[in-house]
Amino acid sequence: MIKIQDIRDAARDMLAKGEVRAVIGWQRGSRGMAAEPVVINAPEQADGLVWDPTCYHNLSLYLVNDKKAQAHAKQKPTLPIAIIAKGCDARSCVVLMQENYFRRDDIYIIGVSCEGTGVIDERKLAVALGGVKPTSAAFDGDDYVVTLPDGSEKRLPAREVMADRCLECREPFPKENNIALGEDKTGRALEAPFAALARFEQQSEAERWNYWQRQFDRCIRCFACRSVCPMCFCDECVVDSIEMKVAPTTSAEEKASRVRWIERSNTLADNFGYHMTRAMHLAGRCIDCGECERVCPVNIPLRLLNNKMEREAREQFGYEPGASIGGPSLVSSFRDDDPGTWIR
Amino acid sequence: MDKLIDKARLSDWITALADWEVFAPALEDGVWTFKAAGEAVSLGHTNVKQPPKDFAFPQREIYFSFEQVKGEPPRLTQKLPAEAKRVVFGVRPCDGRAVPRMDRVFNDPQFPDAYYQARRNGLAYVGLACNRPVAPTCFCKSVGGSPVSSEGMDVLLTDLGDRYFVQAVTKTGEALVAAADKLFVKASPADKKALEKTHADAEAQPQRAIADAAGAAKKLKANFDSPLWETLAQGCIGCGICTFLCPTCHCFDINDEVTGTAPMKGNRVRTWDNCQFPDFTMHTSGHNPRETLGSRLRQRVCHKFQYFHENYGMLQCTGCGRCVSECPVGIDIVNVVNKVTENVA
Repeated sequence: MIKIQDIRDAARDMLAKGEVRAVIGWQRGSRGMAAEPVVINAPEQADGLVWDPTCYHNLSLYLVNDKKAQAHAKQKPTLPIAIIAKGCDARSCVVLMQENYFRRDDIYIIGVSCEGTGVIDERKLAVALGGVKPTSAAFDGDDYVVTLPDGSEKRLPAREVMADRCLECREPFPKENNIALGEDKTGRALEAPFAALARFEQQSEAERWNYWQRQFDRCIRCFACRSVCPMCFCDECVVDSIEMKVAPTTSAEEKASRVRWIERSNTLADNFGYHMTRAMHLAGRCIDCGECERVCPVNIPLRLLNNKMEREAREQFGYEPGASIGGPSLVSSFRDDDPGTWIR
Repeated sequence: MDKLIDKARLSDWITALADWEVFAPALEDGVWTFKAAGEAVSLGHTNVKQPPKDFAFPQREIYFSFEQVKGEPPRLTQKLPAEAKRVVFGVRPCDGRAVPRMDRVFNDPQFPDAYYQARRNGLAYVGLACNRPVAPTCFCKSVGGSPVSSEGMDVLLTDLGDRYFVQAVTKTGEALVAAADKLFVKASPADKKALEKTHADAEAQPQRAIADAAGAAKKLKANFDSPLWETLAQGCIGCGICTFLCPTCHCFDINDEVTGTAPMKGNRVRTWDNCQFPDFTMHTSGHNPRETLGSRLRQRVCHKFQYFHENYGMLQCTGCGRCVSECPVGIDIVNVVNKVTENVA
């Protein structure tokens, strides 16, 4: 099991030696059990880092944000930035590097293995505890130990309240790393890959259609699923109501004639348009960190869409996203031995 | 007049409101939402995920449709919503207190909003007091509210075990009770005692606290340029959850949605806008006065605790805690206000 002290020591050392300019990690939040993302840049701040089953955030998003901020300020950083990364987070770093979003030298990966116990699904936990909200959570072997508001502790088998993405995770160990902490328990998926998708697809087409209508109908278009996704790094998103790249020289004609594929209205048609666009843009890129589904305030099961695209990529092209930095990316490569027959 | 109704008769009351369209919390796909009330209604919800804000201020409102045949003047058709008698059951006191705040904005004597008024007229709220905080993120007491407040309600219900204590707050509320008069019994002095005790117990429940909400306006103003804003927004992903789930956020955007080109036609549409989005208040020149996440967090917090207070003499936040509990990365308005206002004279 990972000792939090090891994570703190690693972060402190790197900052003290001036090897990195900042470390992206997790700290305790102010509102209860959940950890929250933090960027630290002084050695003494390392003591505030935490590692527990609520470290569900995929921190590679903040690498993207950091890169954007640097570009905006027209700065070229001389030191890399360090990130604490779980198995899925490290895979998303790989995709970002595959797509040349940043170079391997730009980042320093402090890998943390989930060791097969993954992160908590707060919705499952709420059901398991009858709505009682714990004040903290910790790993302990195959269990989580949560502290309840009255100070008592409760032990729960991790498997029962673990996020679905972790149940189906094939690679809880961050293979791409500069240093790695914790045991490599790769291959320890608790459920078959795409298990939830397979269950869902047992329904008829009409049932599935009705299901998605109901899901998308309640979408409030807060765009949290987009905003939390490290792969959604476009400077301009198709759903934003105005263009970001308006310059003083942009004519009124150009501004007025911009194409709006998707209106900001939360009509069912526009909601469908938004979600289909998002899912398609993630084909061959989504590494199933599941953050989109976790953050959705109205419980839209977005992983089903992403998994569908991921499985297509695998079955049609034998493609596994996030596998290697130097490898080809799905949509910019062609192989004669693609397993799909349709292309010949 | 104070009355009581058996919980088992709640559905009968709703059935008796034949002239009204009735909405009540329902659990669908794990989300508590206000839905058209079916036959069996029980108010077993904690709080609904989305406040009842959109009954008067929907996320999408069509102002008018337009059509222009080449060479002819444009034809505009206003789309004012029809007034309807609608009543929402199970509104929590924090969301009730949001109602007069939204009214203040959209029923402004100088700038009345016809669309809001058309929806608001005929809209009634039957509240449900919180005997205990529905979530650890609740902080209504810190912002001048109360878990048993009837502000903004037409009727307030209080759970007394197998019965609800029923207090009609407005004339509309009296009419709602009168519509099913036989279902109610008059409250006895003992019932009133039970109500007082329940309310006192509810008030005594501990909540998270903002240290000085009343003085926050001045202190936030003094700390407008604090570097804390960027630090506290460090984890922010710039999504719209906090404001879209807020019972009082009311910024909106207006767009023309073109549906056809020959002849050119479409709708002018108002949709909710969101101060956390990157294009919020971006100018047509390309300049954005609120470019960073910190400046947009500051806008959200100061609107509630400073600007609204300066304009209308009341806090805009009602302490429902949705922006805290639903934030994907733990941005916590209680913590933000406390941090930015501490050590400010």
